[in-house]
Amino acid sequence: MRILLSWLRECVDVPGTPEAVAKTMSVRGFAVEGIEPVGDGDAVLDFEITANRPDAMSVVGMAREVATAYGLALTSAAGSGHSADPDTARPKADAAASDIDIVLESPELCPRYVGAVADVTVAPSPAWMQARLQAAGIRPISNIVDITNYVLLELGQPMHAFDLATLTGRQIRIRTARPGEALKTLDGQARTLTPEMLVIADAERAGAVAGVMGGADTEVTGATKTIVFESAYFNPLSVRRTSKKLGLKTEASMRFERGADPNLPLLAMTRALALLEEIGAGRARGPILDRYPNRRKPASLRLRRGKILGLLGVAIPDATVTRILEGLDFRLTPDAEGWQVTVPTRRVDVVREVDLIEEIARHHGLDQLPSTFPALHAAPPPADPRLARARQLRAVMTAAGFFEAVTFGFVAVDAAATFAADGDLVPIANPLSENFAVLRPSSLPGLMAAVAHNRRREQRDIRLFEIGNRFSRSGGERRALACAWTGAGSPEHWEGGARDVDFFDIKAIALRVAQAMRVDAVVEPHREAWLAPGRAAALVAGGVRIGVFGQLAPAVAGRHGLSEAEAVYVMEIDLDAAERAGAGADLTVAPLPRFPSVTRDISILVDETLAAAAVRTTIEAAAPPTLVRIREFDRYQGKGIPEGKISLSLRLTYRSPERTLTDADVQSAMDAVLTALRAQHDAVQR
Amino acid sequence: MPDPAIDRSIIETLRANFRARLSSAASDRDLKALTDEFLSRKSGSVTALLKHLGSLPADAKREFGQLVNTLKGDIETALADRRAALDDTRAPAGAVDVTLPARELPMGRMHPLMRVRQQVEDIFTRMGYEILEGPEVEEDYYNFEALNMPPDHPARDMQDTLYLDAPIIGGTWGAHRGALPEAQVRAATLLRTHTSAMQIRYMKTFKPPVRILVPGRVYRRDNLDLTHTPMFQQFEALVVGEGITLADLKGTLEALVHELFGADAKVRLRPSFFPYTEPSAEVDISCRACGGSGCGVCKHTGWLEILGSGMVHPAVFEAVGYDPEKVTGFAFGTGIERMAMLKYGVDDIRLFYENDIRFLEQFPL
Repeated sequence: MRILLSWLRECVDVPGTPEAVAKTMSVRGFAVEGIEPVGDGDAVLDFEITANRPDAMSVVGMAREVATAYGLALTSAAGSGHSADPDTARPKADAAASDIDIVLESPELCPRYVGAVADVTVAPSPAWMQARLQAAGIRPISNIVDITNYVLLELGQPMHAFDLATLTGRQIRIRTARPGEALKTLDGQARTLTPEMLVIADAERAGAVAGVMGGADTEVTGATKTIVFESAYFNPLSVRRTSKKLGLKTEASMRFERGADPNLPLLAMTRALALLEEIGAGRARGPILDRYPNRRKPASLRLRRGKILGLLGVAIPDATVTRILEGLDFRLTPDAEGWQVTVPTRRVDVVREVDLIEEIARHHGLDQLPSTFPALHAAPPPADPRLARARQLRAVMTAAGFFEAVTFGFVAVDAAATFAADGDLVPIANPLSENFAVLRPSSLPGLMAAVAHNRRREQRDIRLFEIGNRFSRSGGERRALACAWTGAGSPEHWEGGARDVDFFDIKAIALRVAQAMRVDAVVEPHREAWLAPGRAAALVAGGVRIGVFGQLAPAVAGRHGLSEAEAVYVMEIDLDAAERAGAGADLTVAPLPRFPSVTRDISILVDETLAAAAVRTTIEAAAPPTLVRIREFDRYQGKGIPEGKISLSLRLTYRSPERTLTDADVQSAMDAVLTALRAQHDAVQR
Repeated sequence: MPDPAIDRSIIETLRANFRARLSSAASDRDLKALTDEFLSRKSGSVTALLKHLGSLPADAKREFGQLVNTLKGDIETALADRRAALDDTRAPAGAVDVTLPARELPMGRMHPLMRVRQQVEDIFTRMGYEILEGPEVEEDYYNFEALNMPPDHPARDMQDTLYLDAPIIGGTWGAHRGALPEAQVRAATLLRTHTSAMQIRYMKTFKPPVRILVPGRVYRRDNLDLTHTPMFQQFEALVVGEGITLADLKGTLEALVHELFGADAKVRLRPSFFPYTEPSAEVDISCRACGGSGCGVCKHTGWLEILGSGMVHPAVFEAVGYDPEKVTGFAFGTGIERMAMLKYGVDDIRLFYENDIRFLEQFPL
């Protein structure tokens, strides 16, 4: 809220430069977002007023805070009547004849409505008034409208003025809108109202949206001769809902929805009528009408010394408590434990004892508090293993050359559709843009975008990974580790050896992750729409698929801003599933072997379509338990090998835990292995 | 030829001449040339002097011979030394050019946001906090209502929320603490706008005392610009127990700031408003750009806002079944991006989400 310092100083004689005032008020809870000098040492201070303090959204409201901060008194210009007492300045009686009839049909939505008729001469307002409005960022319109805005700024009470001549039946009815009722608001927009919205109507039709905006048809114009001033208190929730539904936020709605002071409208009306005469814009005709069926009494709260100490960690002297709270217009009655405190009705934020303690802390100064440290009274609970796991995976992936990426949790529909069935996507109801339309079903779209970003910036060799959550309708929110790798598999070196990433690089990463998580996993061929056929595999543990990896299908790469000609290898592992498949944290060390091992190499010719895993399975089944390791060390196809065949060379390692194996032991094992390979795969030893 | 017996200067001239030549000799070839010039049997200048000795009288021969032989010895020693020095610079058999490039060992980097997050986790681990991750899709009750933000509360406007078009099952937390009643999000309707939702899940599950730190991703309906992203990382601390005070909050915040930004960073608490804390305070640190004297970075205030904090609101305790007459607590939270921007001098938050390797590789392992 923009407040002119000289106006503030009329209400409280605060010393110092604008900067000094700004600094003091910042640490009292009113941050100053800007200081705008306007000449003569005067300045506009732009206070940031938190949503709980509608009472401070006025010159007088802020003056009260400044006075308390500086230990000063408010001047008479601040208005002596603006106090917590609801009975202050009651109108004498509205029995006297009035030119208007006010009918309050919805006292829940409008607990109080104050109206007054005045004869006016519409003209521009005086320069001083215009200047103050302009400093606050409000455009001067005419003396009548300017008075309503001036009172709004000065006291914080939103007001409105109707042209009496436009009100059919000389009536003001505060009622809910009729279904489909239409109204053209002051901004020129035609609005269709709904029955939960409160309107200010005449005998026939709506003339204003209550607490939000006036109507164009009842507006004060240059031709207006008689007006009705409105000064009311509207239900905050009702104004908020109406304002939201209409998409219409105004100075008035902002104050009403946060909570105005039900005991301010009459005072504001008195002030408006006084201003009317003061600037020669007109004169009240008849009495002030005040419809206020259920008078709002100020709340009363207990405030205990022990609670102040308990919450702040420091005892505050009684005199300080009293000075602060009375400065803010609270009324204190001492009792044994502390005080009974009457809360001014404008302080909608103060409903509990802690709210009073906050006021004390705020004006006592948070910088005055000691710095202590909370004592431990219980053993810390065990750590969440998921965090340790994430750290470990981060270490594994970075050691393998991957850079960690962090990408958004939502993606465009087409990017997501590649990775999940349509019905399994989780759309966002109110997305910011098409790019953020659905929750990501996989981290890969984000990673691909990051790869593409780097690729466009002269990076050729890119390895990225991300640990994060992905979402689906069927699976909910699940944690995943994903990575993408393009460019060099083995980096360039002057001695040679450079090559691009291939399937067996990404397989190594998948197995490394499984190893890190202590998952006993096997790799199986797999089909996935977004992976290149024949270059896709699944990581399987205990029959459960915990991850998928392989070469990204070129068409998919193309759709995600990558070149179809450059191979991108990707992997995604379901960390929740992997965690369940893992061996956990318990570990028992195996004794070291006591006897030497024996290795034998064999080379066999088999069909090129035979999977290495099938050969391994056959060997494992045929060999005695002394076979401890099988390693394929060569696979050859070409010259000297019949068409459709491959030469596969394996190194078999044998070891017994009980004795040193003899040649005969190993030879009989190898015979059994070769026999089985011949029988099952037509293998021919080379 | 002048009589060498009486002209010793010829020897000194020769010596000086040799020294000058030696000092500029840098290769085998230079040394060979020097050896030839001074010591060659046929044409060496020292050899010539020795040859000349025979023509001298006996006593001059002895005296002069001694001088010439000394010169010869000196030259031979100097040449040998220089040759040895030269040999030392020569590559031995099997030597490699150690200045050629190494083979590249792959080295990735942790994301800077995770760096800061881990640092924060470590600080709080040492302070005895339990570090927990919570679900990212949440139910309205946990994200707002139980945090003293009932439907239609104006404070909901402070955090523009992203909603799901239909509820889904959410994630889980706390599996390591056994089967917990609040462990699973049953019908998530929104993306959490802050990690504070975990305050409720935790307190509804466990009795006080509470001392937790919850890092994680949060979402708001903010457009991408220099300082906003629709998703960002937060961490949130919650301490509840008997006798926890605002002074404890202040002490804890100071400890955190000093660890993150150095012992000379000053901390300021400024009263503010959050629906779920009372009293509430924003936390500022002295501007890192100007040290507190005021500059463009801190909008000439000398302070930078880094954190929101406060004492847990009694309404929150009531919502989770804690007795606000018995326990008090504090909570604070902030965006990790903000911390990282301040720590590393990053002026555009979007850099964290572009994942540009040229940006990422500037951070150490």
